[in-house]
Amino acid sequence: MGLVQRAVEAAGISTLTLSPCWEYTRSAGVPRIAAIEHRFGRTLGRVGDAEGQLEVLRATLDALVAIERPGQVVHLPFRWKRPPPGAKRRSFAPAPIVGHLARRPWQVARFLRGDIPEPAGP
Amino acid sequence: MSASPTGEVDAFRYVDRITRTMMKAHIAREPVGSIPWTPLDRPLSECKIGLISTAGISLREGQRPFDAERERRDPWWGDPTHRELPWSATAADVRCDHLHIERSGVEDDLGCVVPTRGLERLVDEGVIGAVAPSWFCMMGYILRPQDELVPVTIPRIVAGLTSQEVDVALLVPV
Repeated sequence: MGLVQRAVEAAGISTLTLSPCWEYTRSAGVPRIAAIEHRFGRTLGRVGDAEGQLEVLRATLDALVAIERPGQVVHLPFRWKRPPPGAKRRSFAPAPIVGHLARRPWQVARFLRGDIPEPAGP
Repeated sequence: MSASPTGEVDAFRYVDRITRTMMKAHIAREPVGSIPWTPLDRPLSECKIGLISTAGISLREGQRPFDAERERRDPWWGDPTHRELPWSATAADVRCDHLHIERSGVEDDLGCVVPTRGLERLVDEGVIGAVAPSWFCMMGYILRPQDELVPVTIPRIVAGLTSQEVDVALLVPV
């Protein structure tokens, strides 16, 4: 996403990323970040919580206006709460690369060096 | 969620150990260079807002899904393409094929990652001027951006946002 944000900003459009992992986003050299401590896949907030999501959105746009220098990060005050009793529990399998490296730990060093193999083909 | 006293956000609070290691290694490799900058030159109430997501979302009708099956076969590969979705799209209209997040929640409530309805409410309130007619989605897991993301996908997204004449682009990774 950082590469996209840089290109859009360079094209003359002001940008901001609402990031659940702001250190990773910042490493790309992006102009504006609103950092949020939310779970991946729930950047704006909980499923079904439209008002909570809107509160996050307002704070994000406030951050956009407040940021005055490139590279600035605004840390939003929202923290993930425990789900209410009876809430639907959702789980998912680890991403393929996580399982792949867990089964082949000798390839982790390659990944950490940034030595990504060329695609195997469609 | 709750609003807590301000403080620095823990960027890795909800990241598993392996993913955290991968991300920190990537961060350590990235060179520090100049940062592009386009100042916001008008009040938000006069701005048209565009939107980009990395949630791997596509329309159920008329769009090819992001290629999760290929990523399962080749875990080093991530789909580098993008989709353009109408701003009016709802959760019932889309599918999510991102393999690094919990997808069913996104398909129940698009708003948890794509704030199209929220931005519409802010137009109604006069907080922002307008929204774009469509938004862009890509896949957030791409380890070789140089292959297609940089030379093909990014220019297309930039061209799309430019043609929409947006003043601001909000990016919401997952």
